[in-house]
Amino acid sequence: MTDASMDSAPTKGRLTTVDARTKKRNAAEKRFKAYGLTAILIGLFFLVVLAVSILRSGLPAFTQANVQVEFTLSQDEYDAAEGQMLKTKAYENLFIAALENQLEERGLEVDFDAAAIERLLGKTGGTIREFFLENPDRIGTPVTFDLAASSRVDGYLKGRVTRESVVDSRFLMVSDLDLVDALRDAGIITSGFNWNFITGSDSGVDNPGGAGIGVSVIGSFFMMLVVLALSLPIGVAASIYLEEFAPQNWFTDLIEVNISNLAAVPSIVFGILGLAVFIQFMHLPQSAPLVGGLVLTLMTLPTIIISTRASLKSVPPSIREAALGVGASKMQTVFHHVLPLAAPGILTGTIIGLAQALGETAPLLLIGMVGFIARAYPEGVASGFIDPNSAMPAQIYTWASRADPGFYEKAWGGIIILLIFLLTMNIIAIILRRRFERRW
Amino acid sequence: MYDATYDTTQETAVTDVKIKAKDVQVYYADNHAIKDVSVEIEDKTVTAFIGPSGCGKSTFLRCINRMNDTIDICRVEGDILIDGDDIYDKRVDPVQLRAKVGMVFQKPNPFPKSIYDNIAYGPRIHGMARNKAELDEIVERALRRGAIWDEVKDRLQAPGTGLSGGQQQRLCIARAVATEPEVLLMDEPCSALDPIATAQVEELIDELRQNYAVVIVTHSMQQAARVSQKTAFFHLGHLVEYDDTSKIFTNPEDSRTESYITGRIG
Repeated sequence: MTDASMDSAPTKGRLTTVDARTKKRNAAEKRFKAYGLTAILIGLFFLVVLAVSILRSGLPAFTQANVQVEFTLSQDEYDAAEGQMLKTKAYENLFIAALENQLEERGLEVDFDAAAIERLLGKTGGTIREFFLENPDRIGTPVTFDLAASSRVDGYLKGRVTRESVVDSRFLMVSDLDLVDALRDAGIITSGFNWNFITGSDSGVDNPGGAGIGVSVIGSFFMMLVVLALSLPIGVAASIYLEEFAPQNWFTDLIEVNISNLAAVPSIVFGILGLAVFIQFMHLPQSAPLVGGLVLTLMTLPTIIISTRASLKSVPPSIREAALGVGASKMQTVFHHVLPLAAPGILTGTIIGLAQALGETAPLLLIGMVGFIARAYPEGVASGFIDPNSAMPAQIYTWASRADPGFYEKAWGGIIILLIFLLTMNIIAIILRRRFERRW
Repeated sequence: MYDATYDTTQETAVTDVKIKAKDVQVYYADNHAIKDVSVEIEDKTVTAFIGPSGCGKSTFLRCINRMNDTIDICRVEGDILIDGDDIYDKRVDPVQLRAKVGMVFQKPNPFPKSIYDNIAYGPRIHGMARNKAELDEIVERALRRGAIWDEVKDRLQAPGTGLSGGQQQRLCIARAVATEPEVLLMDEPCSALDPIATAQVEELIDELRQNYAVVIVTHSMQQAARVSQKTAFFHLGHLVEYDDTSKIFTNPEDSRTESYITGRIG
């Protein structure tokens, strides 16, 4: 007895001295913490890089250089111009004269010709003629025309295009930049917030300045309505049945496995399925948000079912027993007690599923929502569902694949808008979760 | 040997038989959990089920209100009659049965709702109140019977989950009696409570005896001795002995009962 206790005493050592094993253990823990911290820092670094590059490339899309010229057209000038063979050319000449006058008034002397104005502002004559044909009462009064500068001029003012990088072409000559500088000094060309980018529609491939994401936001909105209206009820009903009512047998096991498999199917597969079933077989209209919504519903359903089942499972069985114990039926138990407790989880899962669908591009490629030039706003609700439209990610993809560098900027700007929508949805999910979370 | 004890109780008992079980077998898949259990439980009496863990006493209790129906692999054979009606008859709706046979669980499990709604839920789904005033009355009566009215009457809208463990369990008992059951099943109702809360609940059980047939499963032999008039000892799925509590604890017939009570098995 005494021998044993004498032997064991020294091996334990004193409490105030740390033995080798403990030191090693503590060192391992410290190292592990360091690894974890490093991993988080690396993640944060990439997040910052991503955010900075998106903002740097995308923010210029929200401003646009405009040329403001005050212009008075007398009745005589109008009659003369309308009497000519090349009517728009006549208006253009009048406009150039007005511009020259304004520059001279400010003491700026620059030589330019009609071709240079065309390179800077596009076909100005047409715009002006259209205006006066529509508003004949404005003849004889001063009208300020706000004309968008071409994408290269816009790029020059934003620093994307420099004197050194300009190669004379039909789009822009080096000599034009003197005129741009003069116009800027005169305050005729100014940069302003580009509302058209947020509210406008897509433009042709040669006019990145006029491109806007507004119409495709509406396309996305109608698509999300379809997704929400179909996937939430179907997904929640399926989950409740599988989780609470279905017997456990090989058939339900098979369904369960296949739902998990569906969640892992690449989205483009759903796209080609949608093309085959909804467009080729059911003859639904191409490029329609309705079809896009149906395809995205197929894609979102497994996500919603999986998250709903998980949140139903997390409701403690004691709540079910309590309800059954006071004589509630199975359905009353589910709808009065289990579902309200699972609601925050279901909502979060649904919103995350919707956010995923909102950012999905691949399936839209196959049903014709990519590459389509979304020019017109839908006229009413029905038209919003069935008229051809684009969607935000599809629009971004379209812009990114166009040649003009002006569209590249627009694509980044579109990504900012898309991310704002996604962040908003995620914040809503967090708020809902916080508000409805209950403890038991 | 069981029949002999049964006969003596028949002679001494003056109350009616409320629940009559005959040759009950319960299987969990291939596992034979309850074997040949026959018992007659009397009205207005506290009957305690005692026995070592896994002996089947909770399983048998859950047969009486068909809670085992919710377990897919569970199969019940034999007859259980309440007031002469076979509760496993095809025509019996388990939902209706559970309104008649209330249950209190091991862990207090109030709904994450207000105290009022916890009690009012059962009466609401069974359509027991025609208006708010009637419902208020039912809630108050149930809370008084649950011996918790004085503690919660000023905060009926507070969440039931905010109460202490003992209060939660009495709330659950009040919830169970709110639907006016005839039988009250209690599955180790005090195992999650401290001694003071346990004493309060035991006192409550004694009062409930005046109106209900109470069946209580307990691990504590002292508790069985304190609250029950009849005691059934289960062992390995068999009902070994069923008799007056005083007889079981002082002069058991079966050697296994004696071993368990004296702490040699279990």
